[in-house]
Amino acid sequence: MQPPLIEPPAPSQERFDPPRIELKWHERLGVLNISLLLFLVAVVSSAGVLRGSGRDLDYLANIHRFLGSFFPPDFSVSGQTLIGLWETCQIAVMATAFAIVASIPIAIAGAQTLSPRWLVFITRLLMNGIRTVPSLIWALLAVAIVGPNPLAGVIGLTFYSVGYLGKFFSDAFESVDVDVARALRALGARTIQAFQYGLWPHAKPLVWSYSLWMLEYNIRSAAIVGIVGAGGVGLQLHTYQEYGQWNKFATVLLFMFLLVSALDLLGERVRNQIVRKVVSTKER
Amino acid sequence: MRSELPVAQKNETPPPEPLPHLSIKGLGLKRNGRWLFRDLNWEVPRGSVVAVVGPSGVGKSSLLNCLAGLAEPTEGSVTFACNAGCLHKATGYQKRVGIIFQNLLLAQNSSILRNVLCGRLGRYPWWRTLFAFPRADKKAAVLLLADLGLSAHLHRRAGETSGGEQQRAAVARALFQEPELVLADEPVSNLDTYLCGRVLGIFRREAHEHLRTAFCVLHDPALLERFADYALSLDPTNPEKWRVREIHAASAN
Repeated sequence: MQPPLIEPPAPSQERFDPPRIELKWHERLGVLNISLLLFLVAVVSSAGVLRGSGRDLDYLANIHRFLGSFFPPDFSVSGQTLIGLWETCQIAVMATAFAIVASIPIAIAGAQTLSPRWLVFITRLLMNGIRTVPSLIWALLAVAIVGPNPLAGVIGLTFYSVGYLGKFFSDAFESVDVDVARALRALGARTIQAFQYGLWPHAKPLVWSYSLWMLEYNIRSAAIVGIVGAGGVGLQLHTYQEYGQWNKFATVLLFMFLLVSALDLLGERVRNQIVRKVVSTKER
Repeated sequence: MRSELPVAQKNETPPPEPLPHLSIKGLGLKRNGRWLFRDLNWEVPRGSVVAVVGPSGVGKSSLLNCLAGLAEPTEGSVTFACNAGCLHKATGYQKRVGIIFQNLLLAQNSSILRNVLCGRLGRYPWWRTLFAFPRADKKAAVLLLADLGLSAHLHRRAGETSGGEQQRAAVARALFQEPELVLADEPVSNLDTYLCGRVLGIFRREAHEHLRTAFCVLHDPALLERFADYALSLDPTNPEKWRVREIHAASAN
């Protein structure tokens, strides 16, 4: 018989403590389980909203009537819809462009590796504040200022996008190793040069991928902001809904669906291609 | 501030008596409560290749950091006499110091060529390099990279190239600066014997022809004997027992 590779521990004189199969109930409480329990409590206490209006409505008949009025879609408004969608895209493109330009300096101010702590704190607070207000409300504010036209959509979406892009960009800047930029400083480069040549090459793919995502997102949002009068295809949606022209409404929805799915498919692929470069660099 | 040190001649011929380039006075660095080196005094002659030797963790990199002005010494001082003869503190001298970092610190997502061009960022205002470097610089960088055997990889991203290629790119970046002082932390650790000789040969040529003093952390005694003029060794047991040894590497010339 071979001698055991590891010496068995000498039997201790202390009280023998057999390993327990079951943990005690309080030992199983992690953040995960506590939050799960809390969520269950929340589910139970929120059941009241399922009551509905309390009237006796025939839900199935309602669905049938409502969806039935969508068909057949009225394609006579196709041309108008395409023009509206084009405007929607224009609003999204302009808003994204403004947001990218505005977000880069804001992101630098909000990156912990690049800015003093107090500035990071203020910037992040500001961006969080911007994000808590939905894009529809931003558009509503813009409509109140510049009137019901596409410009309002651009302004509203720009504000909303800055809240997101500022956060994403500063995360991108933080994910980059600042040592390269420091090294360039040590070689005599100025701060802007160190940023441009040491930090930007790494952050660029991320920044651009987030920007493309934002463009996608903005095209979707831009379709909605029209409902409060900020231009684009949403204005049509609003009109058709007001007059109960559901078959025209269906046409607009169909075109929106096609555009958004195409964007989703394309955007995802392009973004993956761009970011793959960064990931492969990090693995080294 | 004018110096009491003799003014270096501006012409290319090396002076008969080597002039001090770097004066290290009572330099000491304490890290984690332990002295790495102490009371280091040396007037480093201009245009010499200095090999810094010693076992791992003895403070070779920290010494280079002190010389580069990247780390504040606990005591003592480092002053440079530039070509015009005036004295500088280490931090005021950074544009003229080429550093090869141990972890290279290349921009992994930029091409080798662009990384090397970065060596001359200090020469230009930021708006000059905003879109591209001057054409003459690009040509010079291509020549330098060809000298280091990197012609085939000019436009590849640094992150895609091998360790040895990146190391040579880092060497090229430091040399492209045309610095008066080169501080190289293990510049040849990833290179084969042939490339080692080539890189160190370039250091030696730059040192002797253009009076560019070079500090190299080296481990290989054979390379040291072939390429260095001085060996500065640090002692792990006694921080005050540093030693400077002169090497007559006549065979390399």
